[in-house]
Amino acid sequence: MKKSLLYGAIALALALPASAQEINIVREVDSNNYDPHKSTARSASEVLFMLGDTLVSLEPDMSTLTDGLAKDWEVSDDGLTYTFHLKDGIKFCDGREMTAEDVVYSFERWIDPETNSPVAWRAGEVKSITAPDPKTVKYELEAPFSELLYQLTQSFATVVDKNNVEELGDDFGVTGFNGTGPFCWQEWLPRDRLTMTRHEEYNWGPGFYENKGAPHMAAITWQIVPEGNTRTVALMTNQSQITQYIPAIALKQVQQAPTLEMVRSDAAFWTYFIGFKIDKPSVEDPAVRKAINLAVDQEALARDIMFDEVTPAYSYISENALDWDKSLEDKLLRYDPEEAKRILDEAGWMPGSDGVREKDGVRLAPVAYIQGGSTWQGLAEFVQAELLKVGIGMQIQTFDATVFWGKISTQEFDMFGMSYPYISAGDALNLYFLSGNIPTPNRMNWNDPETDEWLAEGRHATDDNTRAEAYAKVLNKVHDAAVWLPLYHEPMTIVQSAELETVVPHNIYGAGLYKGLDLKFRE
Amino acid sequence: MTATGTEGGDQTILPEAPAPRRAWWRALLRDRAAAPAMLLLAAIVLAAILAPWIAPHDPSANSRAVMQPPAWTERGTWEYLLGTDSQGRDILSRVLYGTRLTLLIGLVAVGIGGIIGSALGLLSAMYRRIDPWIMRLNDMMLSFPAILLGLALVAVAGTGVLPVIVALGIASIPDCARIARSIGIGVMGQEYIEAGRAVGLSDLAIFRRYLLRNSISSIMIFLSLRFGQIILIGAALSFLGLGAQAPASELGMMAAQGRDTLLFAPHIATIPSVVIFVIVLCANITGDALRDVLDPRLQT
Repeated sequence: MKKSLLYGAIALALALPASAQEINIVREVDSNNYDPHKSTARSASEVLFMLGDTLVSLEPDMSTLTDGLAKDWEVSDDGLTYTFHLKDGIKFCDGREMTAEDVVYSFERWIDPETNSPVAWRAGEVKSITAPDPKTVKYELEAPFSELLYQLTQSFATVVDKNNVEELGDDFGVTGFNGTGPFCWQEWLPRDRLTMTRHEEYNWGPGFYENKGAPHMAAITWQIVPEGNTRTVALMTNQSQITQYIPAIALKQVQQAPTLEMVRSDAAFWTYFIGFKIDKPSVEDPAVRKAINLAVDQEALARDIMFDEVTPAYSYISENALDWDKSLEDKLLRYDPEEAKRILDEAGWMPGSDGVREKDGVRLAPVAYIQGGSTWQGLAEFVQAELLKVGIGMQIQTFDATVFWGKISTQEFDMFGMSYPYISAGDALNLYFLSGNIPTPNRMNWNDPETDEWLAEGRHATDDNTRAEAYAKVLNKVHDAAVWLPLYHEPMTIVQSAELETVVPHNIYGAGLYKGLDLKFRE
Repeated sequence: MTATGTEGGDQTILPEAPAPRRAWWRALLRDRAAAPAMLLLAAIVLAAILAPWIAPHDPSANSRAVMQPPAWTERGTWEYLLGTDSQGRDILSRVLYGTRLTLLIGLVAVGIGGIIGSALGLLSAMYRRIDPWIMRLNDMMLSFPAILLGLALVAVAGTGVLPVIVALGIASIPDCARIARSIGIGVMGQEYIEAGRAVGLSDLAIFRRYLLRNSISSIMIFLSLRFGQIILIGAALSFLGLGAQAPASELGMMAAQGRDTLLFAPHIATIPSVVIFVIVLCANITGDALRDVLDPRLQT
């Protein structure tokens, strides 16, 4: 950590003056890799949206689907066949022309069991993906998938280059990435920085961008700066020009700085939570999970730790998300430490000599795995202190982001800290509660045939009501079982240098800058 | 420090006359820098030992009063004398408990390093045949910075107080072995060793009665100086998040946590840093003064 800081400081000091049409974006954590099919990290998506393209794109309002690599598409009446028509003249960074075959290869790699992708479920139940001609992709499903087009806008559906994948093997997305995006891969120094340069021939960006050609920026550096203060200072001293990772505590100050500008969008659905591995000796008891939910004061957390820049969360998805079940509102677990103690007493968890509860020789001291960085450290310590008051001795183990994702796909922890993006109940629930997604992203080991059935019902639904009802059943079941401790919902906040034209914040998978096509210095 | 043949009465040669016990105490207290430093260090140690009784709050319990400044500032309250940190925990209580842990890490690490290091050094001084082996091994260890060793050990054994103590202990061995060896070689050249050998004392007896007793004070001086360094390295490792883990408090770790709010609530990082500074300064001054009064070579 120290080392990357040092390199970071050097790199920042050497950063070219802003006039050079180059910008430095600071962020808190790095990704484990930049292979679209092998990482679920937001930090991977942020970069992949710029390095690659998807068939369809999402507008900043988070609900309008628009063109991407495909200029238009048709969906059959039964919802089983999608036909995409590709734009002309699309090229990879190495100059090779992209054809429908590349799209087919990318999607087949995505769902190939051999790839073992944690995001394969997002492709739906695929029957076949074919390229009838070089400009057409035919996507056929076994069963309708109400969210397919949305899923195809995500970075996981990025079109990759077969030659590049085969040439680099395990190093694909680590030492190189040949994409069709507005920027081209230059170099990645893990935990330090990733650099990309302009894709000069790019002119197939989504229609909602003002810029129809190649990006204005000649180069972008994604710099990892783990410390929030250092990021704030980097923005204030113009060493970095834009970031969405300014700590909540500094936002007030940033708003007053004349050289900085802050833009915010509430169309984001990004929720922080702590999940329980529900087959571990301590947290397998629903009473314990309920008590944990009652013992933590989310309102105080939002106020004291996040300085009122976030909304306290009691539900697993935002109440504004599509298909949220309003009737659940009254059943949500809210702060009540006395009730938490009562539930624990009743369930037989009795305080031991040091105040931490025990039952049948099991100490109520669950181990929580969290990602390094000041955000999660602060959150975890808050939760730890809250739980200690009711006799739960949560232990925190912190891992660097490059190790973290591997660590939380194991079975060795009881709780895990996580935050995630979604646009609807279906998106969120299919991600986390499908039994097929064990061990990751279903890190709770939530294995319930009924849930699987309802989720399938929701995915296959062709009308809004059926879908909402199916997802409502799942929402009720998982909230009832208290498989998570929701913490807060976070809006998208981007802080940028006033030298840049004001950006329109995007929220796709929490990547605020999306393709970065409109990033431009004021003239 | 006297060798007054208590066992066989066969030792006729005494080492140089030791200074009377009281004299060095008095010399120490006369030292204008050392006396206050020692008193301050004693007070800090006492406060750390008594932490569970004198701490006004539970050090790991949070409150809803986050980032309160110290009591003497405008927004401060007497409830939290030194203010609260970003989690609303009482800084005074955390400093007391943190000092406890910091001192413990320093003491145990210095103890491990001191015992193993001086044993190796003195053995090397006594048995010159193994000397090159021990010293080459030692040279290898010396070329590892303590902090690197700490990082490596923590990477293998996982984070926590114990790995840090072990790492710092191991890191102290080579320095201590070096010092002990050079002191030991000096002692081994003394006539009383030869005399001891002449009267047929066993190696063990020579080691115990002459070598150890005549080297120990110099080694102790070295260790007292080393103590300050060890505390600094220990705090640095905790600062990097490798040592003590939440909710425990440790001074280096507290400084690290305060770093996030340095622009808004500087006291959170400053207070523990100042405490580290004071402890290390006092330990160093005390060590220096001890050397001045105890090291026979510096006495005229």
